[in-house]
Amino acid sequence: MNNKIWIALGLLFLITLGFEFTVLADYDSHWWNAIPAFYAILGLVGCVLIVYVAKFISKKFLNRDIDYYDN
Amino acid sequence: MITEFLTIPGVLLLLGCFLLPLLPQKVRSTAFLIFPVAALALIMMRPDGFTITGVIGSYDLVLFQMDALSRVFGMIFAITGLTAGIYAWHIKDLSQQIAALGYMGGAMGVAFAGDLFTLIVYWEIMAITSVVLIWARGTDESIKAGMRYLIYHVLGGGLFFAGILWHFSQTGSLAVESLDYEFTIANMLMLLGVSVNAAVIPFHTWLSDSYPKATITGAIFMAAFTTKTAVYVMIRMFPGWEILIWFGIVMTLYGIFYAVVCKDIREILSYHIISQVGYMVVAIGVGTDMALNGSAAHAYNNLLYKGLMFMAGGAVMYAAGTSRLAKLGGLGKKMKWVFALYVVGGFSISGLPLFAGFISKGMIIDGAGYAGYEGMMLLLLLAGVGTFLSVGLKLPYFTWVYDAGNKIDLKPIPINMYIAMGLSAFLCIFYGVYPNALYTFLPHEMDYNPYTIYHFVEIMQISLGTFVVFWYFREKLKGKMVLVLDLDWIYRKAAPATRLVFVKGVNDFFGVAEKWILNSANYLNRKFDNPMPWLNPFTDKKNKADRYSSSMEVIMSFIVLSFLVLSIFYLM
Repeated sequence: MNNKIWIALGLLFLITLGFEFTVLADYDSHWWNAIPAFYAILGLVGCVLIVYVAKFISKKFLNRDIDYYDN
Repeated sequence: MITEFLTIPGVLLLLGCFLLPLLPQKVRSTAFLIFPVAALALIMMRPDGFTITGVIGSYDLVLFQMDALSRVFGMIFAITGLTAGIYAWHIKDLSQQIAALGYMGGAMGVAFAGDLFTLIVYWEIMAITSVVLIWARGTDESIKAGMRYLIYHVLGGGLFFAGILWHFSQTGSLAVESLDYEFTIANMLMLLGVSVNAAVIPFHTWLSDSYPKATITGAIFMAAFTTKTAVYVMIRMFPGWEILIWFGIVMTLYGIFYAVVCKDIREILSYHIISQVGYMVVAIGVGTDMALNGSAAHAYNNLLYKGLMFMAGGAVMYAAGTSRLAKLGGLGKKMKWVFALYVVGGFSISGLPLFAGFISKGMIIDGAGYAGYEGMMLLLLLAGVGTFLSVGLKLPYFTWVYDAGNKIDLKPIPINMYIAMGLSAFLCIFYGVYPNALYTFLPHEMDYNPYTIYHFVEIMQISLGTFVVFWYFREKLKGKMVLVLDLDWIYRKAAPATRLVFVKGVNDFFGVAEKWILNSANYLNRKFDNPMPWLNPFTDKKNKADRYSSSMEVIMSFIVLSFLVLSIFYLM
């Protein structure tokens, strides 16, 4: 993927961060609103968690050959 | 009177099933489209509170009842029926067309049924007609999967009907109304029956097992109707049942898990239906006005973008002949329109701004948050991460972008498929940009604006985080030829054991019991054929029971006397 897209995505992130510290500075309907960039962290950590847990469980217990039910 | 019955959308569509075969093949696909349009017109015409009643036996039935909730579901069933009908326009198979029309009629009938008897009739029609769309594929595995699907739905419908009868015998009410949060047997049976159709874990295997094996066009209809009618019935009958929050959360995460590990386009999308219905079930469990609105709106939008994604996946399958990610890849240049249309669906379902999912998903998540379920809210957001990862990124990346070096001969896609996808994509963006077009039809009053800065920050940060991780780990999610076990293992692979317990065990038990009963009847018959010899040891062994003898007279006299004495005692 080329650098322009990464720069665009990075800028988008900075904009959301900017909103958090200006418009949303006093916003606290949930306890996690006090943590800066909480939703980005949720996205990162949640995604890593989902990938690893899902891969682990499927590899260990659930994956079978494609014709498993035919035999 | 009769003409009034014909204006019931469900009846109209079912009537279409009998009209369609009378038309010449050339115009049949086009005539099919008239029915959902007519149904939509009828739905928009009827004011709130309009009813059509009928009497069957001693039961007063409400065959049609219009209110805001029914209207919103009826509208989207008609719109989906129309887009799916356009998508399937090139199909000439009469049985599929009739089945699809009947299926749509069943779904529409459920949405407008004013009493539980009418509802269960349409409910069963849906089960019977939809299975044809699986069988029409004609492969050995789809015929078997169709049979499993049918058995599951007959069971679910039976549970629901048993619950309705129990409910009727206890309360005397047939109205489709919200039930008190009490775990009576009638309520449990009805909830169980509806849960089967809503694909609540662990009753979800019929969906993930059969939808990927249905015909390409049939899957579009199936993805739309069965689970969403169940959501409708749940909103009607079980709003605020807190247990549903837990069921829903399990559904969202379970569906996501399988959507991440499965390697077939239609399997991924099928599991993802379970996850999306989970959101709606959570909202029904929360039960506030906003959450119930969110549930209806999410069902509405979900039909649009999930239909679009199934259509795009079906188009790939139609062109390339397979839907396995391991055999696809690099189709972006050759199928750029399908790719673009899929991405609209993918962005919608991931809840990105300006797309349909954005305006309804937030209502459910915020609805849970406002009602005080903050932990649930975080879990729903986590499921949102998985949604973007599995159907927003993984599926399109390995179908259209990543080049696995497969040589794929593509068949051209019929133009009607593009029209159907284009229409769905347009509606996804239309409702995303102009949410009030949907909000005005929602059943409860509310003051909600999805386009806030907070909302924007929330969804953009989550999506960016997810995208970065996906890009870093994308090789881990690569397509492989692999089958992922699910709970249907219990009745598929463990069939010999299941059969041993539920068929052979029961059979053997009845066999032994039957033999025992016959033997004892035989024995008694022989003994009482001539009871004198063993009743009175002093008689002659050759004594015949049917001839007069003095000893027989004594016994008979004694019996008669006992009767006499007993009756005198009784009278006194």
